[in-house]
Amino acid sequence: METSNMPAGSPPDNNLVWAIITTVICCLPLGIVAIIKSTKVKELWMSGDQAGAQKAADDAKKYAIWGMVIGGVFWILYIILMVAGVLGSAF
Amino acid sequence: MQEYWEVRSKKLLIITLAAAVLGGVLTIYYFYNPAGNSLFLPCPFRYTTGYNCPGCGSQRAMHQLLHGNLPLAFSLNPLLIVSLPLIIYGIGIKVYNYIYDSAQRVKLFYSKTFIYGYFAIALLYWLVRNLSFYPFD
Repeated sequence: METSNMPAGSPPDNNLVWAIITTVICCLPLGIVAIIKSTKVKELWMSGDQAGAQKAADDAKKYAIWGMVIGGVFWILYIILMVAGVLGSAF
Repeated sequence: MQEYWEVRSKKLLIITLAAAVLGGVLTIYYFYNPAGNSLFLPCPFRYTTGYNCPGCGSQRAMHQLLHGNLPLAFSLNPLLIVSLPLIIYGIGIKVYNYIYDSAQRVKLFYSKTFIYGYFAIALLYWLVRNLSFYPFD
């Protein structure tokens, strides 16, 4: 796996943890996109494209976090609708 | 030196806040059982289609896990229980890197075999858990 143009040091954090959490807990397609971006990090790093690797890592994080945000928005909407329903039926 | 301590205390503050939020969430999951409690968000996928997604049962499983009931937690969502050590380890490394400005990496997370294997399992689990016969039902 050692190639001459491989940069020294650690590759960027590929943020796979967030991708796993988004996929398993929020079950959103964005989790899958995040995973694909995560796998690209090492590939790009190995080929010497440091900026590209960093961008893929940032993208992975971005998609995973958006997945969680959408999950959070659903939750808030659900609570609002539930509270509205409870109040509505009280009158 | 002054700046060093400012960064340090800012990091400490953020970690304390994150731990407090996590603790609060876990406390809610400990005291309320999501099975039969409308406080919790039902999975949007399950809510609309009636089918389970790979994450369905995670909230109920968390509740059981916090009560030490591992077998029941596993039956509610085995994928979550299997993933949990990975998630805790991965986040642990992230927190460590954050505190010490280091660049430790989880080797496993860079293995294509692992990544595609894990998500193949997740997708397969999605399909299989919606089959209506034993032991999948």
